[in-house]
Order: sequence, then structure tokens, then C-alpha cells
Amino acid sequence: MKTRTVEIIASPREPHLVGDGFRVHNFIPSGYRMDMQRMNPFIMLDYNSTHNFPPADKPKGVGVHPHRGFETVTIAYKGKVQHHDSSGGGGVIGEGDVQWMTAASGVLHKEYHEEEWSKKGGDFQMVQLWVNLPKKDKMSAPKYQAIKYEDIKRYELEKNAGNIEVIAGEYKGIKGPASTFTPIHMLNAKLNKGGKAVFEFPAHYNTTLLVLEGSIVINGKEEAPTNHMALMANDGEKFEIEASDKAVVLVLSGEPINEPIAAHGPFVMNTREELMEAFNDFNNGKFGYLEE
Amino acid sequence: MNGSNFKTYLTSNLEVAEEEISSLLENCVTKIFKKGQFLLRKNEYCKHAFFVEEGLLRQYSINEKGKEHILSFAPENWFATDRESSVFNQPSVYYIQALEDSKVVMIDEDFIRLLSEKIPAFTDFNNRLLHNHIRHLQNRINLLLSAAAEDRYLQFIKMYPDLLLRVPQTMIASYLGITPETLSRVRKELAQKNFKT
Repeated sequence: MKTRTVEIIASPREPHLVGDGFRVHNFIPSGYRMDMQRMNPFIMLDYNSTHNFPPADKPKGVGVHPHRGFETVTIAYKGKVQHHDSSGGGGVIGEGDVQWMTAASGVLHKEYHEEEWSKKGGDFQMVQLWVNLPKKDKMSAPKYQAIKYEDIKRYELEKNAGNIEVIAGEYKGIKGPASTFTPIHMLNAKLNKGGKAVFEFPAHYNTTLLVLEGSIVINGKEEAPTNHMALMANDGEKFEIEASDKAVVLVLSGEPINEPIAAHGPFVMNTREELMEAFNDFNNGKFGYLEE
Repeated sequence: MNGSNFKTYLTSNLEVAEEEISSLLENCVTKIFKKGQFLLRKNEYCKHAFFVEEGLLRQYSINEKGKEHILSFAPENWFATDRESSVFNQPSVYYIQALEDSKVVMIDEDFIRLLSEKIPAFTDFNNRLLHNHIRHLQNRINLLLSAAAEDRYLQFIKMYPDLLLRVPQTMIASYLGITPETLSRVRKELAQKNFKT
């Protein structure tokens, strides 16, 4: 088995506001060598690094907007988010929870800081990820998977190194609760200082690591500090990370979907015609209606 | 200048070699405007037509009660200008503002004169553009005088397919001459008609 090496350690870009409630660094697709095809099936990753929001009576967030052609995955590390959608669904994503929304043929949704949390304010840290869908599933019915922290199983590493929480896919026989359309591994590695973990994914799976807390050393060589992302090359299967101090790392690895991508704003399809159809359908109310 | 959309726009509408356009475009400046920045303010003299390479502009007036009225949006490949000011040398009654970070080709009188001299087909093309603009304004006046809110909205999304996602609804309502509540009702009724679960 060959070692998978580091291709790039990317520093966080200047943050921008999504609505008024998410202060994010975009890594995918605007990062150097992190375009949609290179990272496929992970086609967008916005990272809200820990940011202290002052108390607010009116919850901050993002108003009604559509999605079509992919899934949105929200991982809440600190803070709470409330969401509503055009099919009447909604809920709260609390600390440690994951919301996996299959937008597929189209939904309208809005997301805000949870009301009570917003009144107190505090540290907020989230990842929002868009996961591509294969052509055959892009127009399937929308659905939700609300994954509670308690339902995420973990693998305890030896020598008190820490543990690996499995959101999707698998780690050493432990399976994640999320169901996916294409093979994806989504793991939170929570390592104690000096803790080591080894990962093995097929070499052609696009693989990346986001360091949320602490810092790590990959394959005993490259250091990835807090809020940095390591893009792994597709040159091998196996790599090791070691926590220089107590660390939280989001590990993503997925089989690429080898189909054309036509993306504009909140729609990710295969052709330009499908994109135009998406705008047309959205404008004409075919995604339904959601009150602002 | 690197204004590639503008270059494509000219070469595809005028039978002229790309090298010739490229050398003519050296007489033209492209500027970057940050979101919220003004390209023109009331009482200023408008010296340019603005061609939008990237981004989005709006042209609007403010009435004596302080209310904004949006005359037009200019996304990529559109022009914005105040002809009363630029052609008839009057102080402008409009504001032109960037709604997104925008890259804009600044077209002045000298550049238009240069194009007319160097490219014989330009004058005809420019006339056609002007007629097209007048047609658009006629349709817009007619819609504002006679059409129901839904028809105004349907015309809007046909002409500006992606603006609903880029512009706050209050601005779209302002452009359509309806209240934001009416726009919201129109969209809700359309969804009830067209949304199939």
C-alpha cells in the first residue's frame, strides 16, 4: 500500500459574510487547485472558523434561497442553527449535530442562528459543505437527514490517542449514520496531544482534511495548523496524522463523480441548459414558496 | 485593457478583426467598483456609458420623500448611462451604483467617435442599439401603465433570469413599481400554481 502525500496546505482566505450570520472562509471551489472537478464530489466548502457573535434580538442568518442538483451538509461545532424549508420541514442543528439535506430537484430554505442562542450570543463554528449528486439523482425528490450527535458512532483509538467520529462512510468497521448517493467518508478526528490516527481510502478518492482545532502533522512531515486545509494527492491510499496539540480535524474522502459540471450560484447541474431550466423553474415558483 | 466580454460583444456584432478591436480598446479604461460604490450621483455630469464586464449596477432616482425608484439594472453585458446628462450636458437626476463588486468598461464620447471613424459598420450598429433601447423603454412604460403585477414580474424574470437571486426583493418591487408585499403575493400565487409535490 502506497502513502498518500500532501498536495497543498491551504491557508484560510479572507472571510466573507453569507447573509449576516455566517462569517466564512471559502476553500472549495475558490481555493488554489480546489475547483469543483478536482474536489468532486465535494463541490463547495465554507468554513465559519470560531467567531464570537454578540447577543442579537433578531437572529442573524441567511434568508430564503434555493438549491438544486446536490446535497448541503451542515456540521455544527459551536453554536446553534435553526432552519426552515419550502416543504414545511425545519429544525435545530445543535452542537455536534449534522444536517444532511438532499436538495436534489429543488428546495427553498433559510437558516438562522437559533433564537435563544442568538439572544445570548457566543462562539460559533460551522462547516457547510455541498456534496455533488450523480446525474441520475440530481432531479430526485428532496429529503432530510437530521443526525443528532448522540447517533454518531465513534472508534476509540489505541493509546488514549482520541477517537474518530463517523458521520458517513466508515472507519475500521464503524459505520456512519448518513446515507449517501455515492461512496463518501466523512469523519471527525478528535485527537489528544500526541495522538495518532491512520486513514486508508482508495487512491482515486478525492481527500481533504480541515483542521478546526489544534494543529496536526501529516505523514510525520507536513504541518497543518488551525483553520488550514490539507488537500491530499491522489497518489496513494494510506496516510497518518499526529496531533501537535489537542486537535479536531474534519476528514473528507469521496469517489469522484466523473460527469460534467455546470454551476451557477445555488444550482449545480451537468449542462448549461439544465442551469437555465433551474433559474426558470425557481423564478416561476416551481421550487414552492417560503415566507421570508 | 482586458475587457474580454466587451471585446466579444464588439467582434460578434461588427465584422472586424479581433486585433483591430484590441488596439482600439487600448483607448478605453476598465475600472473596478466595490459593492455600494457610486459611478454617478445626482447633480453630477455623466461622462460615460458603462458596460458591465462583471457584476451588477442599478440606476435609480430618489423622490422628494426620500423614496428610491429603480429605473434599470445592468448585469453582465449590459450598459448603464444617463443620456440626458451625457448627451445633452445636463446635471444628472440619477444615481448609478454597484450592487456587487463590478468590473466596468468606461466608454466616453471620444471612444465612440474613434469607433465610428475606424469601423464603418459601427454607426449602423450603434443606431440599432439605440432603437433597441427605445423599444425596451416603450415596453417598460406600457407595462407600468397597463399591466398587472404578475405580468410585470413575468416579463422581468424573462429579461433578467438570475436577478431574483442577486437583488433584494424590495429593489425588484421598486423596479416593477409595486410594493414588496404585492411582489411576495405574486410569487406565492405563482408557486401555488406551478409547484407540484
